[in-house]
Amino acid sequence: MHAYSFAGTHRYGPHPPRTLSCRRGWNGSATFRGVDRIECQWCRVQNAPGTASCVSCGAPLDGKNLVSDSGWREAPRLRDMTEFRFANSVAQVEGELVPVTEIALGQGDAVYFEHHVLLWKDEATPVTAMQTQGGMKRLFGGMPFVLTLAYGPGRVAFSRDSPGELVVLPLHPGMELDVREHAFLLASHTIGYSFVRIQGLVNLLHGGNGMYLDRFITAGAPGLLVLHGYGNVFERLLKPGEKIMVEPGGFLYKDASVTMQAVQMPVKTGLLRRGMYLAEMTGPGRVGIQSMYVHHHAE
Amino acid sequence: MTAAPALPEGHTICHYCRMAHPATGTSCPSCGAPLDVRMAVTRSGWVEQPPIKDMARIQFGQSRVQIEGTYVPVADFTLAGPEWIYFSHHSLLWTEPTVRLTNSSLAGGWNRMLAGLPLIMIQAQGPGHIALSGDHAGELVALPLMPGQQVWTREHRFLTATGNVSYTWQSTGIWYNTGTGDDRETHYPLGQFGDLFVAQQIPGLLLLHSPGNTFLRDLAPGEAILVQPSALLYRDVSVSMHLHLEYPYGAQRISWRSSFSQRTVWLRLIGPGRVAVASVFGRTSSDQITGNSPATTRQW
Repeated sequence: MHAYSFAGTHRYGPHPPRTLSCRRGWNGSATFRGVDRIECQWCRVQNAPGTASCVSCGAPLDGKNLVSDSGWREAPRLRDMTEFRFANSVAQVEGELVPVTEIALGQGDAVYFEHHVLLWKDEATPVTAMQTQGGMKRLFGGMPFVLTLAYGPGRVAFSRDSPGELVVLPLHPGMELDVREHAFLLASHTIGYSFVRIQGLVNLLHGGNGMYLDRFITAGAPGLLVLHGYGNVFERLLKPGEKIMVEPGGFLYKDASVTMQAVQMPVKTGLLRRGMYLAEMTGPGRVGIQSMYVHHHAE
Repeated sequence: MTAAPALPEGHTICHYCRMAHPATGTSCPSCGAPLDVRMAVTRSGWVEQPPIKDMARIQFGQSRVQIEGTYVPVADFTLAGPEWIYFSHHSLLWTEPTVRLTNSSLAGGWNRMLAGLPLIMIQAQGPGHIALSGDHAGELVALPLMPGQQVWTREHRFLTATGNVSYTWQSTGIWYNTGTGDDRETHYPLGQFGDLFVAQQIPGLLLLHSPGNTFLRDLAPGEAILVQPSALLYRDVSVSMHLHLEYPYGAQRISWRSSFSQRTVWLRLIGPGRVAVASVFGRTSSDQITGNSPATTRQW
């Protein structure tokens, strides 16, 4: 593993610890010191009464938590112009089909990103290059070996340039998340960045994910990670040992505690071809998938 | 498609799939179309197929499918007992390990391979969950089929069908050539082959992926409409079709290039029957046509 800033100790934690002692209501609301609070069903943060969207991730608080019969939960569809906060900064989501994330960076805050997702920025917003380790390996793997940092105060906006959904993941201290390469839109500077090489020849040849996964780690401070998924995004929480077979192109993110292995299925995909490979994901932890993907070749 | 059976008491007919369903409810149990939205009909008579609502369920046999998402919707099947579906391997998004996957080969493999069509289908048998995705922005269109009912669909629009729906394919017979000699190229604006689905002894379900939005129209006997060939999604087998070439007035003076042809290649559909088009389609070549399948022509 090649760490950018610091290596965090892994601790599985799909949801932040609840620091408030609260009593949950039937509709997801909670009472704290006699005041009704609204718990976000996506990131579990407590919100003030009367709030229309979560202050931490932007998820609508007046909508239903959509969970399929098979247990997949839809990522919340962020409303046009929704705002949410991290540290001293404010993010705003603009548009729905190919959504844009605009960040008003506060003093002392910074975000990093791959340069091709940059849509526009204020002239005065400073940017610097952020070298990642394993430069040549990353270059050969088609990954950027230089990320870009934008500092506050100032405004900067990002777009992945394709129809899809933004997945806002506030990360709490002690979390590790693996993300499909090129799927991350931005991360706040408090999140450590590294990458892991996908192990195993079968995984490399047939995994359909490329050679690397981006790994985001938080140690002492929380942070904000924004991903972009093609099409619609769904998340499922796997129990320890529970397995699900996923088309490798559909994989978007997972908790580091979830293991991923390419498995050959006993079916043919063509006249002379044998071997459709699927990614076997084994819990515990979250798995995120996207419904539109570039299908890998099954040869 | 043929007419729906006699209407039971307390039931109504779905505007879109023509199946009877209880008058209450928010979505059609046969095709998932929302029932609590007003039917949108253009002034020209096209009915807009409303997108299936997020998390709507469609029942077939002892199994059901739930439609999830809106941009690139996913069909999430709960397969009961021995019931099965078939699909091309490209469509598989995820599956539970309990679902049994096997192959079924298709006749005419060489021709299908040349046409870029799947040679082998995958069968998925329950019990368990399995999900498919059309992998492009658009809508899922569910077509419940009564026994003996047939429907023709454009190639590459098929997502999946239940095991009791038989599948065959036939040449479209719609083509044109451009260039001469070694430069001659044959174009199939509708695709080289079309898919034909027939429900067997019991009702079945066919799921299509429609890029963009979907519009339906019932053509009266002898009524004709011109559509972009690659926009056609499905049609009743009673609807006939052929190539139609339209040359606007003054088209020959547009370009000095002798190979350039300012014309539109249409698909002419003639009723009676239902047709459906998608709002996303491919463009046809602008090179001069040197040969074509039987076609009508209009010079303005």
